Parts: sequence; structure tokens; C-alpha cells
Amino acid sequence: MLRRHGVYMRREVVVLEDIVKIYRSGSVETPALRGISLKIYEGEFIAIMGPSGSGKTTLLNIMGLLDKPTSGRVYIDGIEVSKLNSGEIARIRNYKIGFVFQSFNLINRLTVLENIEIPLIPRGIPRPKRIQMATNALIRAAGDPSWLPKKPNQLSGGQQQRVAIARAIVGEPPILLADEPTGNLDMASSRIVVKTFQELNKTGSTIVVITHNPEVANCTEKIYVLRDGRLIGEVSPDPSKCILNM
Amino acid sequence: MFLLFLIDIFRMAVKVLTERKTRAILTIAGIALGPFALVMISSVIDGYGDYIVSQVQGLGQNTIVVFPSGNNKLTENDLNNIRSIPGVKRAEPFYSIQGQVKVGTETKIVFIYAIPPDLVFESISGLELEKGSIPSETEYLKAIIGHKIAYTDDGSVAYDLGDVLTITYLKSVNGRNEVKRVSVVVNGVVKEFGGAFVLSPDLTIILPLEAGQRLLGLSDWSGIYILAENSNVVQDIVREIQSRYRGVVDVVSFQSIANVINSVVGAVNFISFAASLSSFAVAVAGVASTMITSVIERTREIGVLKALGFRDREVLIMILAESIIMSIIGGVIGITLGMIGSHILASTGVTIRAGPQAEIVIKAPPKITVFGILRATILTLMVGIAGGVFPAYRASKIPPAVALRYE
Ligand SMILES: Nc1ncnc2c1ncn2[C@@H]1O[C@H](COP(=O)(O)OP(=O)(O)O)[C@@H](O)[C@H]1O
Ligand SMILES: [Mg+2]
Repeated sequence: MLRRHGVYMRREVVVLEDIVKIYRSGSVETPALRGISLKIYEGEFIAIMGPSGSGKTTLLNIMGLLDKPTSGRVYIDGIEVSKLNSGEIARIRNYKIGFVFQSFNLINRLTVLENIEIPLIPRGIPRPKRIQMATNALIRAAGDPSWLPKKPNQLSGGQQQRVAIARAIVGEPPILLADEPTGNLDMASSRIVVKTFQELNKTGSTIVVITHNPEVANCTEKIYVLRDGRLIGEVSPDPSKCILNM
Repeated sequence: MFLLFLIDIFRMAVKVLTERKTRAILTIAGIALGPFALVMISSVIDGYGDYIVSQVQGLGQNTIVVFPSGNNKLTENDLNNIRSIPGVKRAEPFYSIQGQVKVGTETKIVFIYAIPPDLVFESISGLELEKGSIPSETEYLKAIIGHKIAYTDDGSVAYDLGDVLTITYLKSVNGRNEVKRVSVVVNGVVKEFGGAFVLSPDLTIILPLEAGQRLLGLSDWSGIYILAENSNVVQDIVREIQSRYRGVVDVVSFQSIANVINSVVGAVNFISFAASLSSFAVAVAGVASTMITSVIERTREIGVLKALGFRDREVLIMILAESIIMSIIGGVIGITLGMIGSHILASTGVTIRAGPQAEIVIKAPPKITVFGILRATILTLMVGIAGGVFPAYRASKIPPAVALRYE
């Protein structure tokens, strides 16, 4: 709601300053990000587009504190993270960030319920409370708690991605980062995923979606374009070309 | 809160292990080998050791025997000298030779002692007469015989009270061995004593001291048999005799024999312990390779856990939990089988050959101690920790971004 009124200062949830990332393997250096500055405000729903190899995943990993930049600063909720140790960084990931991956990354040995519970384990939440929270999360992400006792590989790709979204939101993190969440899904499943993101965004989540698919990007509020490790522009989405309106 | 986390980690580890059953079972079998061998072997050795020591101690905790060494001879003077040592209750000379006796159809090797018989009964508390009586000092033809002389191996009576028994023995006359025969009358039969270390009471014939010279024609004492007032002064008496007769006599006490046996058993036990450590070392390698494989296979999964907020040390504990659970299962199996195995191994017995015809069969229950179990348990747990700590550490340090790209 706040963002509709320009007079209010909007809270910066993610701030990147001059981010450079160079991968080194032996003597070979691959510059993946060549100086990126970006501010993401609370409640935003943005897309990052760009050709393959342009550095999208690298950028998302750095925002999500899964990787460290070669230089530059990352602020999450105002905290500069380069000074934190790996335990503190893990805590921030756990409480503030939810991840959704292209390949779902569910653990097939565990049930759907146990997969969704994972982020709650390091918080020391007792099992009965966890089951309750996981059930609620799955209802929000999929509307169907009957999957809870199943194994992920008994579900379709679209269903698995909804379980992954449930896992990402179970701890109610303010930020949701998704790396090509519809990359492995058909049209119908992609719609459901995008719809879920929109609903989560309406209830206050800040969402960053990396996507190749313009029909997904057009459902967001702002599209950043990445090329060769640089942000080359900002595009306004065309809601009429959103997958939900077609 | 941390306990709650441990319970969750434990559940997850069990799931991982049950998912890869064959590998877990093989690793657990490898772990179980160490505690199995250690518990089985050391409790059998301890059981035998205790048995032998108790046998030797049963021969008389307060007994000391002095033998002349080399060509030396013991005389009346020496006897009086020894009797004057404080703590000596009684000291008597004795003659001893080996001989043969026909028992039923069998010829048995026997040990003949000419010694005041009451001294023997006084010093060896377990020794009792089954029938008959102790002959007086002057009745030098009358003998007390051991149980295995009075009875054949199948239990029928070979010699009864009043029977004449013929002993065949070798005697050296002017440097030549001559076969001699003497006959004695059975005056008493000793109750079965069992055991057969150092002395074998069941195969012994005891004659009054006078028989040594008069009957067996021996001129020199074989030694002096000493009874100490109590077991605490035995060492002092031994030391005193050794200092008075340096190089002239050998002094033996059953107590010191027991000490020697104890230290031999200790040494054997240590060697077997050291040997079994190698199977623990092999198990460490087995656990480590299983865990490394498991960690590599689950690189991506570990990346997911980290992305979802698991800290390095939580990943470390999770992986370590798997190897520790395997080692606990392996330890329980190994120790249980080791205890069963020790009973089987001990019940087969051990045969010690003391001479061409002297065979001693030891059968003793294994000695399973809390210390032994605890030692095996701790070592097995250490196998789990040592084998798991490096893979767990590696897993904990995998950067999540790298792990998530891992195929
Ligand atoms: N671990 C790595 N080591 C070396 N180069 C890497 C590594 N990860 C990514 N890259 C390179 O960095 C560039 C950006 O990769 P990535 O962020 O995955 O791009 P995108 O997600 O847009 O396809 C690519 O050239 C890629 O080959
Ligand atoms: Mg990518």
C-alpha cells in the first residue's frame, strides 16, 4: 500500500552497490557481474531478464547471500552482510529469504511435509508447530494439503514447484527469490506459479523472479534487463502480455 | 532447543541410512569387526588368566620354596638359618623325584615328595583327604596319593587304602641312570584338586620325610619348603633369603608366580588389544569412504539445506550423526557377538603342553568386564567420529552456490 503513495519513504529491502563477481578457476577468470547497483523496495515484485550466461543466477545468488561478490556491498534490510560470519549469514537466509529454483530441489527421500519443514528445523521450532506451519504454507501455495505424506517424485512438476514455494514461504521470509521458477513447467503450471507469486506479493512479500519468459516477466511490476554482467535497462511490463491475462 | 535440533538431525540421518541400506550394512559390518574381536579375545584371555592365577594362588598364598642352584647343597645349618627369619612359621626340607605308576591299564607320570605331610596340608588350604589319614613321620612306607592315582580316568578305583603301590623311578648312580622300584602302602587318598599349574596335587604321592633317604635312597635335600605366617610377609622373606643366599639358591613363591602370570596375561592382553586396534583403524577408513561418497552424492542436497538456512555446524553435526549412528549400531552388534563368541571360544578350551606327556587343558569362562565393554564402546564411537569428521567438515564447508549448481 505504501508504495502507491510517493510521499512515503519506501524501505529498501535489498541494496546492491557496485557488485562485481569474477569466477576464478585456475588462471581463467570469468567476469559474471561487472558492476551492478540495484535497490529493491519492500513489497516490490520485479523480474530480471537476460540471455543465458548474462549473470542472472549469479546476481540472484549474491542477493540471496548464497555467494559473495568479488567486490561491492550487499545490504539486506539495512544490514551490510560482508562483515557477517557464515553462521550469521545462514541465519539471515533462514529468516529473511525464501528460494525457489528451476529444478525444484526437493529432497526425494523426505515426504512433502518434511521438505516443507526444513527451514523451520534450524529455528528450533517443535515438530507439532512445524507440521501446522507446513500445512498452512502448502495450503497457501497449492490449496491442497493432501500431498503432505507423499514423496515429491509422486507429484507432477507443477505440483513439485508448488511444494517448493510452500517450503520457501513456510518461515514467512519477507523476500522471495525465484530462479527461472517456470523454466521446467508447462503453461498451466506456470500460470499457477505466477498467480501464487502475485498473491504472496499482495500480502506483502518482496519478490524477485528471474525468467526467460516475457509472459512471466510481464506479470511483475518492473523488469530489469541484464546483459554481459551489466544492468542495461529497466522495462515497464505490459500486463496485457502477462500469462494470466492470455 | 539444541536437543530438539539433535532429535531432528537423528531422524534425518536414520532416513539417509535406510535409503542406502546395502552400503550402510556393509559399513556397519566393518565397524562391528573391531569390537567383536576385542571383546571376544580379551575376555577369553582375561578369563584364562584369572583361572590360572586362582589355581596358582590355591596352591598356597603363604608358601615359599627354596631350591639349591647349580651344584650347591642345602644343609641343616641352612634350615636353621631360614627358620630364624622373622615371619617364617615353619620350614622343612623335602625330597622330590618324578616317577611312574600303573593306574589301571595306564602308566602315569607322578611327582613324589618326601616331606612332613601335615605341612603340605597346612599350606595348601584346598587340599583335603578323601579317605584314610596322614601317616606319622616314622611310617615312611605309608603314602598319601593323589586322586588321579587312586582312580583311573573312567572313575574306577585303582588303589584303595592298604593297597600296595609300586613306583618306578630313575636314579642316577655314579653318573648313570638306573631304573629303581619301590613299593609303598596307601594310607590316604586326596580329594580331587583339579587344576595343574606348577604343582599337580592329583598326580602327587606324598611320603613322610624319612622316606626320602631310607626308601628312595636320596642323599641331598631337593629343597626347603617354607610356610610364612601370612601372605603379607612372603615378599619380605623371599627378599631376606635372596640376600642371605645370593646365587646359591632359587626362591619361588606361588605369590610371585601368580604375579608373573598376571603380568604375562596383561602383556598378552595388551598385544591382542594393539592387534585389534588395526581392525578399528580399517573401520575408520571404511566409514570415511562411505561418508565421503555419501556427501559427494548429496552435494546438491547439502546446498539446498544451506540455502534454506542450515549453518555450517548444523550440516557438520548432521553428517557426523550418520557415521555415529552407524558406529553405535556396529558397536552393539560387535560387542554382543563378541560376548557370545567369547563363550564359544572359551568353551573349546586351551591345551598347554608342559612336557612330552604332561598336558594341561584349561577351560575357564570368559571374563567380560565393564571396562572391556566400555573400552570397546568408546573405541567404536571414536571410529564413527574419526571416520565421519573429515567428510562432515568438508560437507559443512561446501559453498551453497557451488553445491546448487552441482549436477
Ligand atoms: N562456478 C563458476 N565458475 C566459473 N564460471 C561460472 C561459474 N558459475 C557461472 N559461471 C559463468 O558466469 C557467467 C554467468 O553465469 P550465470 O550467472 O549462471 O548466468 P545465467 O544464470 O544468466 O545463465 C557464465 O559465463 C557462466 O559460465
Ligand atoms: Mg541461470
